[in-house]
Amino acid sequence: MPQMTLIQAINDALKTEMRRDPTVIVMGEDVGVNGGVFRATESLYKEFGQDRSIDTPLAESGIVGCAIGMAINGLKPVAEIQFDGFLPPAFDQIVSHAARLCWRSRGRFHVPLVIRVPYGGGIRALEHHSEAPEAYYVHTPGLKVVIPSTPYDAKGLLIAAIRDPDPVIFFEPKRLYRAFRQEVPEGDYTVPLGKANVIREGTDVTVLSWGTMVRVCLQAIEQLESVSVELLDLRTLAPLDIEMIVNSVTKTGRVVIVQEAPRTCSVSSELTALINERTLLQLQAPVARVTGYDTHMPYLSREQYYLPDARRVKKGIEKVLSF
Amino acid sequence: MSQMTIVQAINDALRTEMRRDPTVLVMGEDVGVNGGVFRVTENLIKEFGSDRSMDTPLAESGIVGTAIGMALYGLKPVAEIQFDGFLPPAFDHIVSHAARIRWRTRGRYHVPLVIRAPYSGGIRSPEHHAESPEAYYVHTPGLKVVIPSNPYDAKGLLIAAIRDPDPVIYLEPKRLYRAFRADVPEEDYVVPIGTARIAREGSDVTLIAWGAMMPVALSTAEKMASQNTSVEVIDLRTLVPLDSETVLESVKKTGRVVILHEAPKTCGFGSELAAVVNDKAFEHLKAPVVRVTGPDTTIPLARLEDYYLPDVGRCVKAIQRVLSY
Repeated sequence: MPQMTLIQAINDALKTEMRRDPTVIVMGEDVGVNGGVFRATESLYKEFGQDRSIDTPLAESGIVGCAIGMAINGLKPVAEIQFDGFLPPAFDQIVSHAARLCWRSRGRFHVPLVIRVPYGGGIRALEHHSEAPEAYYVHTPGLKVVIPSTPYDAKGLLIAAIRDPDPVIFFEPKRLYRAFRQEVPEGDYTVPLGKANVIREGTDVTVLSWGTMVRVCLQAIEQLESVSVELLDLRTLAPLDIEMIVNSVTKTGRVVIVQEAPRTCSVSSELTALINERTLLQLQAPVARVTGYDTHMPYLSREQYYLPDARRVKKGIEKVLSF
Repeated sequence: MSQMTIVQAINDALRTEMRRDPTVLVMGEDVGVNGGVFRVTENLIKEFGSDRSMDTPLAESGIVGTAIGMALYGLKPVAEIQFDGFLPPAFDHIVSHAARIRWRTRGRYHVPLVIRAPYSGGIRSPEHHAESPEAYYVHTPGLKVVIPSNPYDAKGLLIAAIRDPDPVIYLEPKRLYRAFRADVPEEDYVVPIGTARIAREGSDVTLIAWGAMMPVALSTAEKMASQNTSVEVIDLRTLVPLDSETVLESVKKTGRVVILHEAPKTCGFGSELAAVVNDKAFEHLKAPVVRVTGPDTTIPLARLEDYYLPDVGRCVKAIQRVLSY
C-alpha cells in the first residue's frame, strides 16, 4: 500500500473517480495546465484533457454557477475554490441555488456537486487565505460539510462526496496537505459521510475536533499522560454523527471542543447546545470551547496567537477536569 | 409623542438623522422615487433630493460596495437590501470588506455603514423573501447585528446604528411592519446597541426571543400565566454585541431556558445562546436549554410556511418540557 500525503490522496481520489465515471470533471482556477495552486489536480489534465480538467477565469461565482448547471444536466463537477477566503463571492450561488434546487423542485432535481476548498491557517498566508468558514455552510440547509484530517479519510470522503447526490462542501486542511504520510489503498473505497471517527479511546474527557485541529489535539493529549482522553474526529459536520458524540459524552461526562474558527455562533456552539440538550444530566462540567477569537484571522506574524495550540487545548482539558 | 407602526418609526428615524446630519444618506433599489418597496423611505427624496435618497440598480453587491466606499470617505450611508434573500449577492462585500476594514487598517479607517434588510417570514411571499439569515452575520467578526421588535426600539436602535462608527446589519421584522402601533417620541433618541430588554418579568422560565418572534413569545407568556407559570420574556434587540449579563441574570433566577427563533436550528443563534448559558450558568440549570426554531430546511413557500414558523403551540410545549424535566 503506498504512503501518501493528504494532497496526494486527494489527487488520487479525483483520478480514481474520473477513471471510473466519465461524468466526473474538475474545474477551477489553475486546476488544468498548472495542476492547481497546491497541486491537488496535478496531471489530471494530461490524462483526461481540457474538457474534464477545466481552467476557469478568476470568478468564483461563475465557477459555482456553471458547476450547478453541469450538475443538474448530468455531470458530476468537482469545483475548486482556490482559498477559503474566496468562497464569499460564490456564496449566493451556493446558498441560494446549489443548496436549494432539490428542495425547490421537490426532489425532482439533484445537484451532485462537490466544492473543494483549502481552509484554515498556519501556513503564513495573506488575508483571505487562512479562514475557517465552515459554520456558514453548516447553518445552510441542503448542504453537506466534510473536513478530513488524514490522507486515508481525505480519499475515502472525497470519493463518497463525489458519489453523493447532493452538494458537498469539502474543506481541505491546507496546513496538513504535506504534513505527514499515511498508507492509502490504491483502489477505490469510500469513507461514509456522516460518520465520526474515534482517533483515540479514553474515559476521562471527550475532545471533539475536525480538520487541522485534530493534529493539535493529538499533540496536547500526548503531553497529558495521566489523563485518559477520548478524541473524536468529526470528519463530517453536516450531517453530524450526534450518536457517537452522545455515546462518548455519556461515558466521560466532560467535553472540550477544539476549532480554528471564531467562537460566536460556530459549529462549537451547535455542538455545545446539542450536548446540553441530550446529556445534561451526564455532564460533570460545562462544555469547554477552545477556538479562534471573535476577530478576523490575523496576518502571519500573529497567527500563532490566534490558532488554538496544544497549550490551549491542555488548558481546556484541565479546566473541565478541575470543575 | 405620536402613534406609529414599525415602518413609520423607521422612516421617522431616517428623516430625523438626515435632518440632523448632512452626511447621512439612503440608497438602494426603489428607495428614492418609489419610496421603498415597503414605504420605509417614503418622502425622503422630496425633502432631501436624489443625492441623498439614491435609487440604485438591482445589484446588491454594487450597493454595498459603493456604500463601503462612501462610508470610508466621510458619508454615513444607510443601504437597503430589499429582502433578506438578496443579502447573499452582497455577502462578499459585507464579510470580506465592510466587516474587516477597521481591522485591516489597525483602526485607521472605520466603516460607518448601516445595511437595512427586511427579514422574517409570515407574509406569504415567494422564495428569497422570507428568510432569517442573522446567524451568518453574527458569526462574522466586525459586524454588529440589530433586530428591533417594536416601533420605539426600531427608531432608537436605527439612530444608534447610524451613529455607530462600525458596520451594522439592521434586520427589520417585515411581518410586524404594520402589525401594531406604539408611542414613538418625535424628537431624536437612541436605544443603545448591546442592551436587551426584559419584555415581561417572570420567575419560572426564561424565554429568549427577538424581532418577529416577540409577539409569539409574549402570547406564550400570557397563555402560560393562565396556567400559573410565570415566564420571563427577554427581547434581545441586539445579537452582536450580546447583552449576556441580562440573559444570565434571568437564567440564574429561573434555571430554565427556552430560546425562540425563526431561522434553521443548526448553528443558528440559539446554539450560541445555549452555549453561553452552558458556559456561564451551568450550575443554575434545572433542565436542558430547549430551542424552538425553524426546521433545518429552507423556509417553504407561502402555503406551508405556517408549519415552518414557530408558533405559540410549539413554544408552550417547549416550556412544559423544561418545567417537567
